[in-house]
Amino acid sequence: MENEEKMMTGEESLRIITEMINRTKVNIRQGSFHLLLWGWLLTFCSLSDWLLARFTSFAHPYYVWYLIIPGAFVSMIYGFVTGRKAKVHTYADMLYMWTWIGFFITSTVLFIVQAKSMESVAPYILLLAGLPTFLSGFIIKFKPLITGGICFWVIALLVHFAGPALAPLGTPVAMLIGYLIPGYMLKNRVDHDKV
Amino acid sequence: MTRFKELDPILHSQLRLAVISLLVGTEVAEFTYIREQTGATAGNLSIQITKLKEAGYIEVTKKFRNNYPLTLCSITKLGREKFTEYVKDLRDYLSPEKPE
Repeated sequence: MENEEKMMTGEESLRIITEMINRTKVNIRQGSFHLLLWGWLLTFCSLSDWLLARFTSFAHPYYVWYLIIPGAFVSMIYGFVTGRKAKVHTYADMLYMWTWIGFFITSTVLFIVQAKSMESVAPYILLLAGLPTFLSGFIIKFKPLITGGICFWVIALLVHFAGPALAPLGTPVAMLIGYLIPGYMLKNRVDHDKV
Repeated sequence: MTRFKELDPILHSQLRLAVISLLVGTEVAEFTYIREQTGATAGNLSIQITKLKEAGYIEVTKKFRNNYPLTLCSITKLGREKFTEYVKDLRDYLSPEKPE
């Protein structure tokens, strides 16, 4: 675009508008990092909680869930640093970010309110996590994430009806389908796009 | 004969239209990002950004990051309104209503 005053036809104008708007539509820069971090962290927490409760006499197996606090710091610092380095902030980026911040705040409030009955929180967290996952899939136009969000809701229901023996396994399964598989697929897509 | 409304001369220019179209979908964008996406030279882009700024269509903020100058651009309310108007006029121009 060198000749700044070059006359354009209507079709050319339309082509420029469409091309430029499309370039700011989808940005999957940060997506995979957070999905993989939370996917692995929550899988570890839920499996450890279950294993400690089932095979040891440790009185407070749910203590492992406190690992969420450093996880949140890592997530925030990574988001802040990459956000500062970013050359552009699209509305899709902002929507994506605020959707997850909203989920984080809601979950924190839920943890505080339900602190005395941590074992019953899992279905609610899965139910809540379904929404940002589902919406993020639409924001970045990525079907595995949309499917992941739906799986969270289905698994939340299954966990509720599964009973105490099987319910703790719901979270790792949800993490695998909702975060880890889409996370690695997204990472591969970003790496592939870089080549 | 169908009369067409004249397209906004500030926007009816390849590079200026590209810049505004990019900024419509962003909250804020760096000068270097706009240059990469439009493929324009720094000098040419700088001239067109100044014209858009003088017309009040965009806002330009100068900052520093790690001791390097940083130019940030964002679309203004007026710029957004003018862009919407331009798209509407363009649509009328491309598919005019047939006279009854």
